[in-house]
Amino acid sequence: MITYDAIVIGSGITGGWAAKELTEKGLETLVIERGRNVEHRKDYVTEHKPSWEFPLRNARLAVGTQGAEQYPIQARTGQFHESVKHFFIKDHRNPYVEDKPFTWIQGDQVGGKSLIWGRQVYRWSDLDFEANLRDGHGVDWPIRYADVAPWYSYVERFIGVSGEKLGLPQLPDGEFQPAMEMNAGEKFVKAGLERAFPNRRLTIGRVAILTQALNGRLPCHYCGPCERGCSTGSYFSSQASTLPAARATGRLTIVPDSVVHSLIYDAAKHRITGVRVVDTTTKQTREYAGRLVFLCASTLGTARVLLNSKSPSFPNGLANSSGVLGHYLMDHHFRVGASGAIEGLLDHYYQGNRPNGIYVPRFRNLGDDASRRGDYVRGFGYQGGASRQGWARGGGEPGFGVELKRKLHDPGRWSMGMTGFGECLPREDNYAALSDQTDEFGIPVLRIHCTWGDNELAMRKDMAASAAEMLEAAGVKDVRTYDANREDGLGAEPGLGIHEMGTARMGRDPKTSVLNAYNQAHDVPNLFVTDGACMASSSCVNPSITYMALTARACDYAVAESKRGNL
Amino acid sequence: MEGRGHPVNRETISRRRALQQAALLLGGALSAPTVAGVCSTATRRAWAASPAWAPRTLSAAQLELVATLTEHIIPQTETPGARAAGVHRFVDTLLTDHYPTAERDRFLAGLAAVDAQARSRYGKAFVESATGQQVALLRELDAAAYAATRGDDAWFFRRMKELTLVGYYTSEIGAMQELHVSPFGAYRGDIPYTAVGRAWA
Repeated sequence: MITYDAIVIGSGITGGWAAKELTEKGLETLVIERGRNVEHRKDYVTEHKPSWEFPLRNARLAVGTQGAEQYPIQARTGQFHESVKHFFIKDHRNPYVEDKPFTWIQGDQVGGKSLIWGRQVYRWSDLDFEANLRDGHGVDWPIRYADVAPWYSYVERFIGVSGEKLGLPQLPDGEFQPAMEMNAGEKFVKAGLERAFPNRRLTIGRVAILTQALNGRLPCHYCGPCERGCSTGSYFSSQASTLPAARATGRLTIVPDSVVHSLIYDAAKHRITGVRVVDTTTKQTREYAGRLVFLCASTLGTARVLLNSKSPSFPNGLANSSGVLGHYLMDHHFRVGASGAIEGLLDHYYQGNRPNGIYVPRFRNLGDDASRRGDYVRGFGYQGGASRQGWARGGGEPGFGVELKRKLHDPGRWSMGMTGFGECLPREDNYAALSDQTDEFGIPVLRIHCTWGDNELAMRKDMAASAAEMLEAAGVKDVRTYDANREDGLGAEPGLGIHEMGTARMGRDPKTSVLNAYNQAHDVPNLFVTDGACMASSSCVNPSITYMALTARACDYAVAESKRGNL
Repeated sequence: MEGRGHPVNRETISRRRALQQAALLLGGALSAPTVAGVCSTATRRAWAASPAWAPRTLSAAQLELVATLTEHIIPQTETPGARAAGVHRFVDTLLTDHYPTAERDRFLAGLAAVDAQARSRYGKAFVESATGQQVALLRELDAAAYAATRGDDAWFFRRMKELTLVGYYTSEIGAMQELHVSPFGAYRGDIPYTAVGRAWA
């Protein structure tokens, strides 16, 4: 049997990065992926397909509708449409038990969710890395912004990020390509908002979409629906970016259709020696041998692999001497905010489908008295945008016939919406554990117990109220707030943000954390976890670029340690 | 706040041309099936109006009723209307392949109710009533559908209207002739509306 220098589990955003870094540093690397193979370009089967070629006209496939039968969980996200269903998992392939509503959105293919992610990328700051230490929730991060900053730059230069520099301490600037343009409605709200609140900013989203060519990838052509796949490689995905780089080294092997059952631990060596997988086609078990393992199977996928890797040394799951494995699960809470109408500007329009919106950086609890809130800790940011109403408005108003058709020939009034994305505290009683059920591959499935706490619920009130306050101050009319959260129900339940993180957190103390400052398991030197599982707190910004930076940093450390003979 | 607008070619660039430009831009990077799928007008039309097409949920009479209703909602003007765009075929597809049973039944009951009202009022099925009679009934349904207190009729007529708008404006006729599809290539955030002249589909 071949012994690989490194085995990477998962080929999504972090697995792709681990594959690139490890192969470029000379390691023969095996990437194991549970899902099917998806080839760049060839397998983007709905890309650029016009609406009329979809039998259901690209309908949203909601829970309970035909077309969603095999996706009862995936259909809960508003992103689940006829045009992209093939990039979501069929839920019977990885079921789980919900103690409370928790929506686990999963990819099931090479590239994972990197094909369908939201592409918004924001650096963390020390406001985030010091948060746990400052207010006592969770354990202190073993790293600070200075440890990660060069790796953010390294990642941004490779993936390509367009955005605007703001000079804000709570949202550090990065290596940006030219920003996308705001439309007239957004410029109007920006001007009014910043006039009324001099310490707040409204900027164009920082997004992993090119506005200039980069490494053979072309700038965005503004067709719109990135999530169908992009043949020009204009947004970052494993297919467009990291996997081709890894492949170019000649040291990459990818095995799709192979779900990891467990890691094989040698108690005498205190090391992982290999990985046990189940072939999803034949359901046969196979093993692969490797000297180093990077676990990048997604937050909950990673927790599941470790929990199921039991041995006499680790009866409660591999690398779990602390007992915290599976706990401190987080997600961003969202689907709360406000929207309204902008009067006038009817002589202004736009052209092109910009796959990006606006961003309002965090302005609460920044460490000064002026921004401090008494009712909750941490903070939130807003994403949103303005647009002119289209033909769909006709369904909400009386009228039909020639008059209606004439009216819908022109765009309607401008509207502007803002949705908050709020930080979630790390809490022990939000967790994933193994259930007593198994999936069709014979692997125990997860039981997930996760709810929003008092801090998140208090923050949501401010997220709605502040959005309305800013829109009104900016001159937006008919402002209405909304909050989709329903206690113990669906609407804004944990998981829906698809920013799930935690379960194998980093920390300074092996007694209270799973990973050290380099994403290396305290208990198992040749095991690294660099996906969202590693997170000790959640910040309020989209997490993927932080996962990427931590992955590249961990690869650098792992290879150096390996050369020193420490792994 | 910047207010500069970008000049834009008044001539509408068709989607096909946009795709050809994109394909050139990519140096052929668009996959062959993608280009073939998008550019084969013949393929599209074959789906839209194949002589072999037959409804799978609606009866012939119901299909004609739906076609009549949709054409009232979005009629032919200088551009074709809902019937020519095949919205009734789209409705049948949606009822057959997307709607849960209860919703489909509710929609079919709504169709039956329209006919029942036409019969009680005009002594004829809706499609056999005079055009003026049809319009008069629909005006009542439309007013009731958006009134403060709404009954079951309201659900049906609103749904009928929504389906007509989706079916029409996502059809090739609705998206390309009545409105237009934003060309690929650039994003311009702030241009004069007069340079565009129609809503994007």
